[in-house]
Amino acid sequence: MRQEKKIIISIIWIVLGITLLSLGIAEVVDSYWSGMGSALTVIGLLQLIRFFRFRKDAEYREAVETETKDERNAFLRNKAWAWAGYLFVLFSAVASIVLKIVGHDILSMGASWAVCLIILFYWGSYMILRKKY
Amino acid sequence: MKNRIEAIRKTRGIRQEEFAKALGVSRQTISSLENGRYNPSILLAYRIARYFEMSIEEVFVFEEEDTQ
Repeated sequence: MRQEKKIIISIIWIVLGITLLSLGIAEVVDSYWSGMGSALTVIGLLQLIRFFRFRKDAEYREAVETETKDERNAFLRNKAWAWAGYLFVLFSAVASIVLKIVGHDILSMGASWAVCLIILFYWGSYMILRKKY
Repeated sequence: MKNRIEAIRKTRGIRQEEFAKALGVSRQTISSLENGRYNPSILLAYRIARYFEMSIEEVFVFEEEDTQ
């Protein structure tokens, strides 16, 4: 059932992507949307190819399953997200100050809001996880 | 945490790939465990000990500084 869901989602991406791409070619929508359409089509196709390889190639399936379930990989994925979060906060905080100094007040405010938002997400997640574990 | 995984595995003539497959983890995980770069979860530690038919204490060496 989970695999069928993945096929359906891939097909949805492809259909949506081709639709946006066609609308872009017909100049109904601008290049932003047609670009997004191209990306969605490629993602959908790659997912579909991966899925069929997963179903046919037992060796590949075993390798993917091991990589997915491997606890060190899960640990690394979590650690990488944590690092990405820290770096994002640090980068946004520095950017906010630099942008303020060079006179880009709106961009500086955007960077400050990004810092506030991610800290808010962090506390929200922490509170939920504290109750769960 | 120090462990004797590599020594036990080599004594028994088990290849890393074979060991990893039996435990359902990647070969890189076995390598990291053996080098002491990664500490396993209690579940994996238990599975490793059970694979070797030993107790966890015989495979993993707990030292006080591991808690720091």
